[in-house]
Amino acid sequence: MDRIQLAATDRSPQVDFDFASGHLSLRGESYPEDAAAFFGPLLQALRAHLADQSGAPIVFEVGLAYFNSSSAKALMNLFMPLEDAAEEGRSVTVRWHFVDGDETIEEAGEDFAADFSHARFEMVREPVA
Amino acid sequence: MLARDFMNFFDASRRQGVILSFGGDISENVLFSLGEVLKLRMSQGETDASVAKRVFAIFVEQAQNVIRYSADKVAKPSGPAPGLISNGVIVVGMEASRFYVLCGNEMPDADVPSLRARLDHIASLNSDALKAYYREKLRQPPDEGSLGGSIGLIEIARRSSAPVEYGFQALDNQRSFFCLKAYI
Repeated sequence: MDRIQLAATDRSPQVDFDFASGHLSLRGESYPEDAAAFFGPLLQALRAHLADQSGAPIVFEVGLAYFNSSSAKALMNLFMPLEDAAEEGRSVTVRWHFVDGDETIEEAGEDFAADFSHARFEMVREPVA
Repeated sequence: MLARDFMNFFDASRRQGVILSFGGDISENVLFSLGEVLKLRMSQGETDASVAKRVFAIFVEQAQNVIRYSADKVAKPSGPAPGLISNGVIVVGMEASRFYVLCGNEMPDADVPSLRARLDHIASLNSDALKAYYREKLRQPPDEGSLGGSIGLIEIARRSSAPVEYGFQALDNQRSFFCLKAYI
C-alpha cells in the first residue's frame, strides 16, 4: 500500500499514512466540504493495508483541534477496522492528542476511547502552544 | 431616503445583537468565509476560547444543514455535498450576553414529521443521554437521505447551553420554513 501524504488545508488535516512503517497520522482541523470524499480514500487504503495480513504493528496519531460531525463519523469509520484488527491480534495504538485545557477535544477522545477494548487508546496531553 | 431606510434596517439588526447575518444562496465557500470572519470577530472580542469553539462548531453544523437539506437549491448536481448551493438564512448574534446561532431554510412538508420527531427526541435528553445517543449514532450507518453522519443535530444540542429552539411555518408550495436556534 502506497504512502498517502496530503498537506493540510484551511479545512482539512495534514495526512500521513505511512503503511510501510505502520505510522499513520492526522493533524489539523477537519471540516472538509465533503467528508466522505476526503476520508473515503483513506479508509479504503487502511482496509487494504489491514487485509494484507502482515500483522505489523500500527500506531495512529490523531491531533485535531476541531472536527465537524461528518468528520467524527469518518474517524469512527477509521477506528472500527483498527479495533477489529487489534481483536485479531495485531498491535494497534491510537494516540489522541489534545491541547491542555481543550475540554471538547479531550472529551471527544474519551468518547472514542470507550469504543476500544483491544487496541490501545492513549490520551496525549500537549502544552498550550 | 435610501441611506436612512437602510440604516434603520441595519440598526434594528444591530440592536438585536446580530453579529453576522447572511440570507441568500449559501455554498461551502460562503460557509468557510463567514466562519473565518466569525472566528476573527470572536478573537478580537476576547470571547472565551471554549465558548468561541462551541459557537464555531454550531455555526458549521447549522450552515452545513442549510447547504445539504434546504429544499431551495440553486445547483442540483448528482454527487454529494460539493457544489451544492442552497437558499437559506444564518444568523449569529448575542442576546443577554449569550451567543446564539440561528438558521432557517425551506424543506419539503413530507420531511417535517420525521425532523420534528428527531428534534423532540433530542430536546427530551439531558446531557448524559445526549452523549450516549451521540455515541450510539456515531457507530451506526447514517440514516437514509443523510449526507453526513446524522449526528449534526445532536452535536448542536451537545454544544448548546440551553435547549435548542425550533419551529416550522407552512408555506403554500408543499414546503415549510424550518428554523432552529441554539444558544451557547
